[in-house]
Amino acid sequence: MIAQGILLMTGGYLMCGLVFAIPFALVGVGKIDPHAAHGSWGFRLLIIPGTMFFWPLLAYRWIKGVHEPPAEVNPHRCAARKGAQQ
Amino acid sequence: MGVEYTSVQWNRQKRFYDFALAGGVGAFLLLFGVISKLLFPLITDEILLIRAFGAAAFVLLHVILCIGPLCRLNRRFLPLLYNRRHAGVTMAFLSLVHAVLVIITYHAGGDTNPILSIFKGSPLVGSVAGVPFQPFGFIALVILMLMAATSHDFWLANLSAPVWKSLHMLVYAAYGLLVLHVTFGVLQAEVSPIYVAITALGLVIVLGLHLTAAFKEVALDRSCNDTPGNDGFVDACALADIPEKRARIICLSGERVAIFKYDGKVSAVSNVCQHQNGPLGEGRILDGCITCPWHGYQYLPDTGASPPPFVEKVPTFNVRVKRGRVFVHPKPNPPGTRAEPGVIPVEKIELQTA
Repeated sequence: MIAQGILLMTGGYLMCGLVFAIPFALVGVGKIDPHAAHGSWGFRLLIIPGTMFFWPLLAYRWIKGVHEPPAEVNPHRCAARKGAQQ
Repeated sequence: MGVEYTSVQWNRQKRFYDFALAGGVGAFLLLFGVISKLLFPLITDEILLIRAFGAAAFVLLHVILCIGPLCRLNRRFLPLLYNRRHAGVTMAFLSLVHAVLVIITYHAGGDTNPILSIFKGSPLVGSVAGVPFQPFGFIALVILMLMAATSHDFWLANLSAPVWKSLHMLVYAAYGLLVLHVTFGVLQAEVSPIYVAITALGLVIVLGLHLTAAFKEVALDRSCNDTPGNDGFVDACALADIPEKRARIICLSGERVAIFKYDGKVSAVSNVCQHQNGPLGEGRILDGCITCPWHGYQYLPDTGASPPPFVEKVPTFNVRVKRGRVFVHPKPNPPGTRAEPGVIPVEKIELQTA
């Protein structure tokens, strides 16, 4: 019974992701990443499975109007950012 | 290094890599089929296909896991790393075919949902052979599919390289699950210990290579001096320790720094490539640019910026050359900021070229 519930929830989550993935691959991907604005059809098709997994994150960025991918975080970049702010 | 995303940025090396990969997988499947038919003449085609695709995926996973440490230990293996993600996607595809065949053969057609059926207990309860091995394989498959689905550079940029790398480190969890899946699965199907022995040998090779490479890395980081002098600069290394158009790697400010010597100058940049966090210091200067050994991403040594139209940038460090030694300031400059290269005195260049 529990396993069936988990399976149903997972299926529902992925189905929501698939529904989201279609407009995202067509329009949204270009909004959150400028390199994707003129991406090929092959690229748009390739990102659909990953979008099904990560759709809440991508939906959040799209709704928030984020236009650039996130800045990478590592010790050197953090120290450089901190130094630039001082 | 791309300005706009395409499905695959094909080039000659990638075509050759994929051709060799497809040829290798095809040859393995064929050989496995022939040998299985000779050893087990009564084997059905379904079982043969299940075993062939499962074995091909498992062997390819071993090869993929060994590429990273092999490259750390010997640069000659670097070409294998170049398009490793295509090998990973191929392995996930082989695993998927194996899983679909298993579900069709053993789990479809009953009253129970085929996926739920995988998680149902074995009838051989109370013995090692009764351990339900299929759930291990199913969870590993989910991990492998997640990795394959996020293998494009779009995910690398949008999840950020450290997050993406952490996600793809799950391959080790998948490997552990697959070792259990294969070991317990084989125990149920075969009585000969040779299959378990081969699996154990694969595990020893993978672990051994990773441990050897890790010890080498730890030794490198421990050998670094990061105590600054009165002027705030750290005595990094002797000028003579850096080969021309190559780098010396030191550890500074919590991360590795690559100090390059080229054309009578010395520049230092963060060792971490913006693409996939490859080790820039293990690359070399090609066409005036630091070239990452993993996928060829390039950066100008003095600015840490990729040449236009590319937009990748890494932090730079201020450098001085004095009395045959290289001094690096531990405070990184923002990515893409020009740092005046240290100039090598003419007599030093003449001495080195003599």
